[in-house]
Amino acid sequence: MNNSPLNPTRRRVLGAGLGVAGLAAGLPIMPAIAQTGEIVFGAAPPITGVFAFAGLALHQGLGDYCEWRNTKGGIAGHKIKYIGEDSGYKMDQAMSVFKKIMGAHKPPVFYGDSTAWAKAAAKEISQMGSVLTSSPSFASDLVDPKNAPYYFMPGPTYTAMCVMLLEYISRTSRGAAKPAVALVYSDTEFGRDPIAATKLKAQALGIPIVQEIVTKPGSVDVSAEVAKLRRAKPDYVIFHGYVLAPIPEFIKQMREAGMSITPMGTIWSMDKTTVDAMGAAAEGWMGVMPYRYSYDTKDAPTMQAIKAYAAKARPQMQYVPTFYTTGWLVGMIFSEVIERCLKAGKSLNGPNMKAALESINDWDTGGVTGLLASLKGHQIASGRIYMYDTKSKLLEPASGWIRTA
Amino acid sequence: MRIRDFRQSYEQDEAIWQTPTSRLWLAGLLVLLALFPAFANGYIVGLACILGIHVIASAGLNIMTGYTGLISLGHAAFMGVGCYTAAFLAQYGVPFYLTIPIAGLVAALLGLVVGIPSLRIKGLYLAVATLAMQFILVFIFREWEPVTGGVRGVNVPNARLFGFELNNDTRMYYAIAFCAIVLLIAARNLFRTRIGRAFIAIRDKDISAEVLGIDLFRYKLLAFAIGSFYAGVAGALLGFFYRAMTPEYFTLTLSIFYLAAIIVGGLGTMLGTILGAFFMTLVPELLRALVSLIALWAPRAIEILSPMQEMVFGVLIIGFLVFEPHGLVEIWRRVRRYFHLWPFRA
Repeated sequence: MNNSPLNPTRRRVLGAGLGVAGLAAGLPIMPAIAQTGEIVFGAAPPITGVFAFAGLALHQGLGDYCEWRNTKGGIAGHKIKYIGEDSGYKMDQAMSVFKKIMGAHKPPVFYGDSTAWAKAAAKEISQMGSVLTSSPSFASDLVDPKNAPYYFMPGPTYTAMCVMLLEYISRTSRGAAKPAVALVYSDTEFGRDPIAATKLKAQALGIPIVQEIVTKPGSVDVSAEVAKLRRAKPDYVIFHGYVLAPIPEFIKQMREAGMSITPMGTIWSMDKTTVDAMGAAAEGWMGVMPYRYSYDTKDAPTMQAIKAYAAKARPQMQYVPTFYTTGWLVGMIFSEVIERCLKAGKSLNGPNMKAALESINDWDTGGVTGLLASLKGHQIASGRIYMYDTKSKLLEPASGWIRTA
Repeated sequence: MRIRDFRQSYEQDEAIWQTPTSRLWLAGLLVLLALFPAFANGYIVGLACILGIHVIASAGLNIMTGYTGLISLGHAAFMGVGCYTAAFLAQYGVPFYLTIPIAGLVAALLGLVVGIPSLRIKGLYLAVATLAMQFILVFIFREWEPVTGGVRGVNVPNARLFGFELNNDTRMYYAIAFCAIVLLIAARNLFRTRIGRAFIAIRDKDISAEVLGIDLFRYKLLAFAIGSFYAGVAGALLGFFYRAMTPEYFTLTLSIFYLAAIIVGGLGTMLGTILGAFFMTLVPELLRALVSLIALWAPRAIEILSPMQEMVFGVLIIGFLVFEPHGLVEIWRRVRRYFHLWPFRA
């Protein structure tokens, strides 16, 4: 019998198969950062699932930032290694990816996938005290430096976004009476998040909330809700907790009913691709966006870099979505925090990175955010109101940059 | 070849572990389970915890659906009941060892309520009734803010057991493994009793079972209660494992996940439950690991291959249902039979 190791007996094939499966399952511990000199950025972006419309671009943006940064010498001489695995927008899967990457690579920073992940991982992250985290969620209760010390938001909370919309309405209103506002939101954690605080802010600004409508996230038949809005006669309708549907249907039916309203939205329904998909309903669409759009590169060196790098690395990408910019900005913040720690000769642990994060004040993002950014409160609480121009098919600024308290 | 397996009494024939070999395997398995965290990294231990929770929940559904023939599409909601009960009790300092059974009992009580229509309706009609319960309970999770925390969810304090804080995956692993073993043994034993046999009789032909003197109402309710108890315990353990929970976890998709697990594993067998839960939990994990492995050489492959994992997983499920409609347990039985008769032909 030939005992050569190359002889593929059934036992050897089985053994090799098990070995590969074990390797694939992450049994071996990968070398630590210090040994390789690389700094690992871990991530569990939702590349598939209901959030894939943004998740893939977030993953690409963060990954491309790491590659771009490496071409500029990395962080204080250390190359960045980006390791991202699909979370499928499922909490179990996101937690599993988090544990796997943390166990195998011990990254000092990690980008999750959702509010549910951020809440489920919060205690473990606090307990570990070794990783700074963020996610695509802008849920208001995640900005809590006391209970979630190692979490930050690369933009304003949903509450802050709604406040910006109300401030815009208040500032642009003419006459003694303030315009009437209706709130339409989805019956989800995402949809309900800013509502209570928005109502309080409206009261403080003297803006009457004349109607409040809760729908399912992807509602189709909205005629009964439109009838309610018609009776309430709002001047502005703020939609929150949706990406696209049922917003176009609402706008279409409200216009058919002869209503003269200005529809408004928040970040996830403000990307150009999403607004383009609204078709005719997009006319007059307004909303809040914390970042510049990728076509707005004037006096914005980072936006120029994003556009140039995306054109080089992803020639098939016709338009660079704002989600890509978000991923890029997350990479910038992670790098800034790490760089500040390394320059100060501090080790990359939770308390040091938290302190470095909170020390970021009047930080120039190179034009990604319109104002100098501060992360003292673990969020970048600024944004701008944009309006869709149906002729140019671009979202154009309707206000200056607004910073909320 | 299997030898020295000569049964002389009904008790021997009904024994759970019939031969010294099977007892040896079991002892080996227990030792392996006990030593597992010493050899596995945090990710694998975390995965084992989730797997244990899925095994417990699937076992409950298999008791209802696989053994008694009562289709339930509300299993995830019963898990939610257990999870929120545990979270609520833990906030008031109720000990972990009491919280877990109480969470199971609360879910079981609700299971009794859901079971009431099962006397009048069965099959798809019962599935729709349980589906309604799924939606009602999720609505309650979202709206009953003082208890469930509403849409924002609830934080679960760390479990404490005899002075030990179960604040990491390894400690939770032992708690989950203990519960899973006890509940699986209990379920296996259940089907050696009159109650278990009554369940099977109801599944096979409820009218005949009634003719034989089985009180259909009582046993159907009991099946719902026991199945829901398992779901409640699984939900409570899930809450303690993640230490935070939102209503969005307990969706219809999760109920279907468990239904798929028991169908792929094998309806009406406890081993099928375990194999099904393994399949549904580990196959997507292995597929993702494979994608990550490929991504080491081609980093951008993840963007194309990630969406394909779902497809491959779906095709695998269809494949198993087409080529092995009796579930994974039948494959296991064939392998076992082969070794029992080896070197002779099966």
